Amino acid sequence: MNHMLMPVLAQGPAPELMSGVTLYHYLAVSGAMFVIGLIGFMTRRNLIIMFLCTELMFQAAGIALIAFGRFHLNHSGETFVIFVLTVAAAEAALALGLVILLFRRKETLDGTRWTELRG
Amino acid sequence: MDLLVSPILLYGACALGGLGVALALPRKRVSPFVLGALVGAIALGALFIGLGLKYPNEIPNIHFYVFSFIALGAAMRVITHARPVYAALYFVLTILASCGLYLILSAEFLAFALVIVYAGAILITYLFVIMLATEGPTGDAVGALNEYDRVSREPIIATLAGFVLLGGLTTALAVGSAGLTPNAAKMTGEKPLAVMPKKVEKVLREAKLPDGKPVLLAGEKLAMSSDKVRDTLAAANVIKADQWPSIMPRNHLGEPAYAISSTTGTSEAGAGWLVLTNDKGELRILTRAQWPEDLYLTNTEGVAFDLIDGHPGAIEIAGVILLMAMIGATVLGRKKVDMDDAARAEVAAKLREFSDLGPHLGEQAPFVAPNEASGETDSNTVGVGGMGGTSR
Repeated sequence: MNHMLMPVLAQGPAPELMSGVTLYHYLAVSGAMFVIGLIGFMTRRNLIIMFLCTELMFQAAGIALIAFGRFHLNHSGETFVIFVLTVAAAEAALALGLVILLFRRKETLDGTRWTELRG
Repeated sequence: MDLLVSPILLYGACALGGLGVALALPRKRVSPFVLGALVGAIALGALFIGLGLKYPNEIPNIHFYVFSFIALGAAMRVITHARPVYAALYFVLTILASCGLYLILSAEFLAFALVIVYAGAILITYLFVIMLATEGPTGDAVGALNEYDRVSREPIIATLAGFVLLGGLTTALAVGSAGLTPNAAKMTGEKPLAVMPKKVEKVLREAKLPDGKPVLLAGEKLAMSSDKVRDTLAAANVIKADQWPSIMPRNHLGEPAYAISSTTGTSEAGAGWLVLTNDKGELRILTRAQWPEDLYLTNTEGVAFDLIDGHPGAIEIAGVILLMAMIGATVLGRKKVDMDDAARAEVAAKLREFSDLGPHLGEQAPFVAPNEASGETDSNTVGVGGMGGTSR
């Protein structure tokens, strides 16, 4: 019971196994965060906020990965979060370069102004 | 298939959360953010309380609730705040709260990496771009913000779609995670210790027994694997002779390297062993129960081991992705873009509006005066003056 009250850091012996229900708590938070990011991506019209919402979705995926890694007591989940971090950094660099480009062309960040490709 | 929570509670919480987000999203008239946040918080709380009541013995760490409420509340504020800078700062709060979740999940290396990389680097880039590419609001009033920040696109339909997805997702996860058992074959346990002789020796040298005596006696070190080691282990009933050398760690030539082993999975007492030798060639076995408390795999070592040993190809690909992103961002940033016609007309109209503010604005402009004093009348100056509404 003690581990429920105190955070058990891994700078110590291997942590105890956790149950599927505990795992589910983290997955529910991860899912809710992902959906919030998705809704933000669909509703917001500012290009920068839209990219921020994709970062939110990355973050949600990261929580799920770490929770699964902790559940199976191995480090693969954490390793994949490192790669998620890499992709997020690359995405931020490219997306923000693109945003600057688009802003210089139309002097606005309104995503609905870039709908020429719509069928 | 029994669900973790009664689906009615699950779907109710999803519907309530959806209502909260839909209320809180910015829209034309007043958007009741506080009400929306309250409804969302009630939904989340109801879900957690329902889970806790049904499984009172399996609730997570109490800090989990604090951090997840902060994370989800800040995430909601990211998508509902009308000002982009505030949205980015709330995203930093989301990151910090999820770092708290990582800490509870024993992933502290990534928790701190996330603070540095996400909150420290990526979000600062976002803030730079927001400040670079936004015409700043002129006043504190919400009305002074850009229209595309104040009014969201289809808030009701998007929220509906999102939370129907969440309902399906949480139900599937509930069913799936209830029947899930940890995969013992994939557990890291203390396996990597077997290929870190330097660390093991260092820990052994520094460790003390509870009565103050050193664990490592004078002149002792890890024994290299040999027939003598095998016979000692077999005599002590630690291994069977035919298991040798298949359970030994290998060096880069594939030869058994030194005598330490620990079995897979969680560390049960006696599951691992260490063979020490001294100057006289006498062997001594340290079973798992006798290992010093400090001899374990830290989180950072575990992640490093999994990253370098388990995914070397992925690291190369990540490097290529980062290089491509760097080149791409440079190319995009260097490109000369012409404003399109509509935007040019818009900017011209804005400037015209500015110049209509009155001739006295131009007279007061300090940059006109020195040119007039020196008598220069080049066309460039006139152009600039004209923008400010010169009286000439």
